[in-house]
Amino acid sequence: MSATDPSRNDTPMRPVRRSLARQVLPYAMLSPAVLVTLAIVFLPMLQTAWMSLHEYVLFRPKNFDFIGLDNFRAVLADDVFWISLRHTLIWIGVTVPAQLLLGLVTALLLNQNFPWRPLARALIIIPWALPSVVIALMWAWIYDSNYGVMNDFLLRLGIIQSSIPWLADPDTALGAIMLTLTWQGFPFFSVMILAGLQAIPKSYYEAASIDGASTWRQFRHITLPGISGVLVTAVLLRVIWVANSFDVIFVMTGGGPGYATYTLPLYAFIKARTNLDFGYGSALAVTFTILLMIIVVIYLRRTGKALR
Amino acid sequence: MKTTMRLGLTASLLALATGAASADSTVRFWYHFDNADNPMDELVAAFEEANPGITIEAENVPWNSYYDTLYTSIVGGNAPDAAMVKMFAQPRLLEMGALEPLAARIDAWEGKADLLDNLLDLTKAEDGENYYLPVQYVALYLYYRADMFDELGLTVPTTCDEFREVAKALTRDTDGNGQMDVYGFGFRGAKGGHDHWASFTLSREGVNLVGGMENDAALAGTQFVVDLFREDGVFPPSAPNDGFQEIIGAFKAGTTAMTIHHIGSANGMVEALGDKVSAAAVPECGGGHWTAFGDESTAVFSTAEDKDAAWKWISFLSTAGNNTMFNEATGQLPVTKTDSAGWSLHPERFVKATMDSLPFAQLLPNRSETSDFVNTVWPVSMQRALTGEITAAEMNAEIAKLFGE
Repeated sequence: MSATDPSRNDTPMRPVRRSLARQVLPYAMLSPAVLVTLAIVFLPMLQTAWMSLHEYVLFRPKNFDFIGLDNFRAVLADDVFWISLRHTLIWIGVTVPAQLLLGLVTALLLNQNFPWRPLARALIIIPWALPSVVIALMWAWIYDSNYGVMNDFLLRLGIIQSSIPWLADPDTALGAIMLTLTWQGFPFFSVMILAGLQAIPKSYYEAASIDGASTWRQFRHITLPGISGVLVTAVLLRVIWVANSFDVIFVMTGGGPGYATYTLPLYAFIKARTNLDFGYGSALAVTFTILLMIIVVIYLRRTGKALR
Repeated sequence: MKTTMRLGLTASLLALATGAASADSTVRFWYHFDNADNPMDELVAAFEEANPGITIEAENVPWNSYYDTLYTSIVGGNAPDAAMVKMFAQPRLLEMGALEPLAARIDAWEGKADLLDNLLDLTKAEDGENYYLPVQYVALYLYYRADMFDELGLTVPTTCDEFREVAKALTRDTDGNGQMDVYGFGFRGAKGGHDHWASFTLSREGVNLVGGMENDAALAGTQFVVDLFREDGVFPPSAPNDGFQEIIGAFKAGTTAMTIHHIGSANGMVEALGDKVSAAAVPECGGGHWTAFGDESTAVFSTAEDKDAAWKWISFLSTAGNNTMFNEATGQLPVTKTDSAGWSLHPERFVKATMDSLPFAQLLPNRSETSDFVNTVWPVSMQRALTGEITAAEMNAEIAKLFGE
């Protein structure tokens, strides 16, 4: 009799349904985004990894021979790979700290009270907002050895005695492009750090001044800890972006003169897109991804400890 | 009776379907024009008017990435139906099975007899088949500043030795500020500059990209180019990275007194410099003469949906009258006898320089490696040799290695 009582049957069912719905709903809501990410990010990644294990030259599309790790062995024995890796490390190691420093100084300035501050804040974003190709062409003209404003400026100041072919000299080409990228990327740090600065309560500084703390000590013990979270995230993002960015190099020098401005992503791109060697190009890309992941993991571990 | 009616109905339906299909025919055509205000639209309009039912979607693909884009589009299954193509790309396109044989269509085409002699032979593939239909041609020659030559009492160089002396004399500080403002020769050290190097190197006896790069003559050629830059300083300092825009811009601006290019630049040069610019064949070096024959053809791709329509379009471009319009845009020379006879789109001195160069104008080897030579091996090794990272012998060895593999 009791088994047929509907009220007694419904009672245990409802929580089950509810908890099932609660378990399924998040997956159902997330699945479209996850599926799209899988399709446009992970699938090509897997494809690249798979291609790197094959001899695959695009103009011989019928030959797709499995060669195991031969491409990776060739990468390690390739002089151009080591040249490109060295350039990539210099590229990241100089550009990101330079952008960070410039961005920090700009943010501190923009955080002061002065007339036209909103306009200055808007203008500072321009280098970041311009397309990379425009920036690359603009700076290629600035560096031009015949008509460039850089040489003209330095000649007039008497700093140099004759025009320097900034982009055509292997000793200066990489540095010249790093300066361009620093100019392009520092507004990102400025904006991020400025947001961090505005989140620090003014009362901390007031209290510190009453206690007699100097400006440097206020910066060291209030400002820096206050923006450290922002800095960690911004540096991480910039390391990844700068490491992967080759559009500015490609437009300004195409990697030249010789291999003077080759970085790993550019080398992988040239191997795959110009030489059509997709197997080897993929192996370069996979190698670079692994190296970048190692850098990112080390960075996160170290900064994580420091933040704690 | 019923059967006849049924057949008739079927035939009508088929005809209708065919008509509908041809009405929907679209030919996707890729080309590369440096000239921003090109008259391709006029050609397309004229063709579509003469061939109702065929629509032409012509796309101007930037030259720097033209072949990269073309190859990847073929592999990606999104190739155009027809495109402008050069001979150096033919072996790769054939290896990819991308080209439609055209010999039978060319034989049946009424415009064949009007094509300049030998062009079809020059553009033949190794298997003897014609996959290309020539649409324009040029030969590279030496542009020089006649006014500067007159001012310094110089004569146009006919040999490499004379060229060197003349280039040195032309490299000057004209305003006395201690800075060179004119350089003897605008050398193209970036992609596409192999033609400059080749005129000084491949001209020499016994030098050949395939199997003839590691001898003394080849070394003398490359060393000659390196010395012009490093020892004599007759190229602008930016030469290792200079591409087409830079060498043409510098010549027009008076920063260089000589450079090598083809008739495609002639009208722009005259617009900027008037009678101050003239042209002559490139100098003879090491006992031989070499200049690049700049070929340009069109081809139909094997994946084209409507090959007949694609052929109609490309043959239209190589027909007298239309070919003139096409070459107005590119500034090159027409491939038809009719258009060539009345050619007046370039000043005569540049046409003469081209004609004088034709007897020794040559194509690069018709091999798969030629693409890598043009796109990466030559520019990278030339830049490294010019900047002193490698020697001339090491540069030649790189080239020999590529063609020897």
